[in-house]
Amino acid sequence: MELKVIGKSVPKYDAWGKARGEVIYADDFSMPGMLYGKVFRASLPRAKILSIDTSKAENLPGVHAVITHKDVPKNNLRARFGQGTEIGAQFEGLYRVLAEGEVRYYGEPIALIAAETSEIAEKACELIEVQYEPLPGVFDPLEAMQPGAPQVGEKENNIASHFKIRKGDVEKGFAQADVIVEGFYQVGYQDHAYLELESGVAWVDDDGTIVIRVSSQVIEHFREVAEVLDLPHSRVRYIGTLIGGGFGGKEDITVESYLALLAWKTRRPVKLTYTRKESLLVHSKRHPYYMYYKTGATKDGKITAVHAKLISDAGSYAALSPWVLLYSTVDAVGPYNVENVKVDAYTVMTNTPITSAFRGFGAPQVNLAYESQMNELAKKLGMNPMELRRKNYLKQGDSLATGYVYDRPVPLDLLAQKAWEALGPKRTSSKPQVKIGRGLAVGMCSYGRLTFLHDTSRSYVRLELDGSALIRCGVPDVGGGQGHILAQIVSEELGVPLNLIKIHVTDSQLTPLAGTTTATRQLYMSGNATLKACRELKQRMFRKAAQMLLTNEEDLEVGEGKVYLKSDPTRYIALVPLINRMSADGDELYVEAQFNAPFSDVPAKEIIEGRTFPDFTFGAYAVEVEVDEETGKVELKRVVAAFDVGRALNPILVEGQIEGGAVQGAGYALMEDMVIKDGIIQTPSLQEYLIPTSLDVPDVESILIESGTGLGPYGAKGIGEPPIVGIAPAILNAIDDAVGVRITSLPVTSEKILMELKASKEGNKAA
Amino acid sequence: MINCEYLKPVDLQEALKFASQFADRARFAAGCTNILPDIHTGKLRDCVLIDISDLKELTGINREDDFISLGSATTVAELLNSEIIRNEAPVLWEAASRFADPVVRNRATVGGNLAYGSPASDMSVPLLVLDATVLVQSMEKGIREIPLRNFFVGPGKTVLSPSEVILRIKFEPLSDFKFYYTKFGKRNAMAISIASLAVGIKLGKAIEEARIALGALAPIPLRALRTEEFLTGKPVQTEILEKASEILLSEINPISDIRGSKEYRLELTRALFLRAVNNILSLK
Amino acid sequence: MKNLEMVTIIVNDRPVTAPVEAHESLLDFLRNKAGAVEVKCGCNQGDCGTCTVLFQGKAAKSCLILALQAQGKEVRTIKGFSGDSLMEQLQESFVRNGAIQCGFCTPGMLISSYAFLQATPQPAREEIRNAISGNLCRCTGYKKIIDAVEEVALKRTGKQQDKQTTPSSFSEGQEEAKGNYLLLGGG
Repeated sequence: MELKVIGKSVPKYDAWGKARGEVIYADDFSMPGMLYGKVFRASLPRAKILSIDTSKAENLPGVHAVITHKDVPKNNLRARFGQGTEIGAQFEGLYRVLAEGEVRYYGEPIALIAAETSEIAEKACELIEVQYEPLPGVFDPLEAMQPGAPQVGEKENNIASHFKIRKGDVEKGFAQADVIVEGFYQVGYQDHAYLELESGVAWVDDDGTIVIRVSSQVIEHFREVAEVLDLPHSRVRYIGTLIGGGFGGKEDITVESYLALLAWKTRRPVKLTYTRKESLLVHSKRHPYYMYYKTGATKDGKITAVHAKLISDAGSYAALSPWVLLYSTVDAVGPYNVENVKVDAYTVMTNTPITSAFRGFGAPQVNLAYESQMNELAKKLGMNPMELRRKNYLKQGDSLATGYVYDRPVPLDLLAQKAWEALGPKRTSSKPQVKIGRGLAVGMCSYGRLTFLHDTSRSYVRLELDGSALIRCGVPDVGGGQGHILAQIVSEELGVPLNLIKIHVTDSQLTPLAGTTTATRQLYMSGNATLKACRELKQRMFRKAAQMLLTNEEDLEVGEGKVYLKSDPTRYIALVPLINRMSADGDELYVEAQFNAPFSDVPAKEIIEGRTFPDFTFGAYAVEVEVDEETGKVELKRVVAAFDVGRALNPILVEGQIEGGAVQGAGYALMEDMVIKDGIIQTPSLQEYLIPTSLDVPDVESILIESGTGLGPYGAKGIGEPPIVGIAPAILNAIDDAVGVRITSLPVTSEKILMELKASKEGNKAA
Repeated sequence: MINCEYLKPVDLQEALKFASQFADRARFAAGCTNILPDIHTGKLRDCVLIDISDLKELTGINREDDFISLGSATTVAELLNSEIIRNEAPVLWEAASRFADPVVRNRATVGGNLAYGSPASDMSVPLLVLDATVLVQSMEKGIREIPLRNFFVGPGKTVLSPSEVILRIKFEPLSDFKFYYTKFGKRNAMAISIASLAVGIKLGKAIEEARIALGALAPIPLRALRTEEFLTGKPVQTEILEKASEILLSEINPISDIRGSKEYRLELTRALFLRAVNNILSLK
Repeated sequence: MKNLEMVTIIVNDRPVTAPVEAHESLLDFLRNKAGAVEVKCGCNQGDCGTCTVLFQGKAAKSCLILALQAQGKEVRTIKGFSGDSLMEQLQESFVRNGAIQCGFCTPGMLISSYAFLQATPQPAREEIRNAISGNLCRCTGYKKIIDAVEEVALKRTGKQQDKQTTPSSFSEGQEEAKGNYLLLGGG
């Protein structure tokens, strides 16, 4: 069947509004009588709170509410992060709205203020007096694992979660190895640095419902917020805005509980928008990891065993740390077929900012380690790194580290070759001190949530009498086309032109709940739900059209506003009369469909086995760098990304994900440096925490391979997160190729390179 | 709470009068590319902003006899658009092209960048190597001429008294010198320098005269006078340059901060200096 | 109480008068007093470029201008370009080239691109890359933004024909719907 709308680079439905400045983002919205919220935050990383005196703040003219933990109906929740089902203690976390008894991290919220203006709210913050008893904190996960370390959370030991993989027998595997490489790798924080700050407006509706209009990737948080206020879930409603960048940073609750509490107490609309400093200091970040890897291989390059130990910094509250750790554990050996695998992974609490979801969700960290190991192994074997990879790629029917047999094609060899070949003949440097190097790295990244979460999505599609269509689907849109692509599916399936399709996204009470815009799941989940709704509607349309056109349903096709005979396209009925007839005959013109992902059981023990994800997306990066040996400066000159996207439903949007992910990953590799000292972030501005500008990255070249083997609509795979996996180790491998220095930690600053070069020169002299 | 006032003088005389009147609270405001972030971050809470952005007396890029004269309110973008600067002071033009980013360059002024007194000031380095003079004025002290190399006192501190405004900056273009400017930051735009350096050399049979200016490598942007003196009259030889770089490193006093360690800055300075000199020598 | 001063600023050709504090930025004025919420705030200290407007004809970060400095002066936001062919071409090109993802950088990015193309009608690709280096984008990786600007430049200098436009888009081409009102066709 030829596709008419799917596969076309049609502009997104939201693009024109954004180009004209007409989109009302969270902070752009105001209401009459609106108050301004402000969060008063802890000025120590760990302390006992002896007293909180808010009286001066309360007496300041213009202040309408000051809230502390005492005023929060349920200040401490066992957060299951939107899950209704039991998921086991090791995946739960404490969600504490306001600090109570103790402070666990610098910037922890202690009190909330609502005032007539934001200046008054700020002034009120200055009037709150807190007496602390400072306590020694622990700021590093390795130290936090030591006996006697300060206790960060409720548990006696700071290990929030521990997962293992035990596949085959690693001792036996290493005994079979001719060559073994070992390495320690370390990565720091990464901040999402979306340009839109965390923001929302809340009010109490005329029927007593709390409405929160907010920039959030998860409108299902209405449940948690209702629990915080001890209200029925149906009394809290989220209206999601178009989001000015998410990347996982708007997956956890940001401003919503605060807004709801303030609006509930004052019965006035309240706006709360973080400052950039506040955002950088306190919102969740990508986890720092310590990683130890040991990889063994035979002399002809077959990997016999991998042993990995992973320790991540869970921050001061667990948030999604256990889940992120689980992803890392499952992905620990990457897309390779390894018979003997042992992984021990820990996420450890410290008195530092919260770490949680960020594009890639645990995959980029281990990817850096296993792809560095591959190149080290190749070096030791005297083998071409691409050749070594080729001997070990996971293939259809091989088992993952968890033992799950992967039953779909893995075209990594093709992807790696395509990416590498696109770099073309190697250039020579015109400057003696500038060395050119190339690097390759592959990667895997799941799409769809963990299968034991029993993920579902719903979508509603309705035909209108004039031949237009309406979609209602609670899909938070972070800008990747999450909402738009549903319209393309409806247009394809029902023959309704795109400009006649209206989409409603993200209203937790009015749009069917579609689940989170996280885990690269929306195209897969809500795309399939929408497709399912369309197929059912189409069946009804064909049933009616067959009657009207005196033919059978099998001979019908839809397109360009009509239903026609495949055998004779000149015989057709236009959508408008068809829909009107259906309406007149009492046929239902709408379908709400639900799509269920594959389900598995919650892991009962620390050892992770079997299926954990619906599927994976595979990709390869080939990069070229220039390294200046005199200054250590790395210039990223070429980036080629090849991904099996299953099917590119809208190629320009797919490329956009790859290009953006590549640049965000390049920033992670080369520049983004969140400096933290004794639990306090030292880089709380975008002048200090640097992300790439247009002058820091080349044009990313993307190669889309369409295997058609994905679980999404039309065989699509997910592409939101995967592009951030692979680029960082490709850059490290390229640097090694250029100047013979193996960097094992991120970010790779020019300083780090120069110092390594100096050390290796001195080492050579000494030897 | 912030306690700021705003005054818009009609001319320079009124600006000086306001400044004199408010003394320590007075802050001249032109591009505001530092003042507003300082207010936002709470560094500046109490001030009288005297808006000099529209004062004609402080504008213009002119040729005056042997000198090029810049009004202090000249924006960095105006430097880039000036044929005079591009042709006759390419080292300043080069620095302007690496300054902050193209949007900020439309507002940031040369005088403001100097008066702010940042050790990493990107305008000071090319102007130091050109041995620029700063013309300043106040009610109390009248008009003074201050060599730029005596202008900076410490981080955020200059010899300016609170009521003194920079009128113009002037320098000789030194057509018989060859120059090289380099800025090294953590990224290629919107970067604060880890190190910046400008070198000017007048070359005959030997090095007749050398000038070296450095930014972000000491509490103030500075001239490396001892290194310059050492190089004067010396032949261009690898050992001489190596020795010069040793002296240069002894003249700077970099700090460790989030952008780079002291140790790295020292390494970087040596590399950038040798590169600068080699580039100049290859310019012949 | 605070010292408030009245200021009148010409926003998109219309004078807007409101009281401001001395330290208030043009960005605050635009968003809070002039209702120009299309001017975005991403950092409030000049590090991100989302608040870029045309100020007296030049691209400027409005968080780095005092509202009082703009007294009597002209400011143009992304909503102030209706009928301007260069801006409309840029907008169309951004939309079609996939240069817009979350859209938060878009108003500032468009204004920087506009000011740049006005001054430099025939830029090299690397000049475009430089021209937008004061405007951060976290979604696109910049390539499609540069593509979009480059395409407009080439089109305006006659170096490139219109690309084949895609068959249907959301805001444009309403006529396409008309064909639907056919009755039974054929047999």
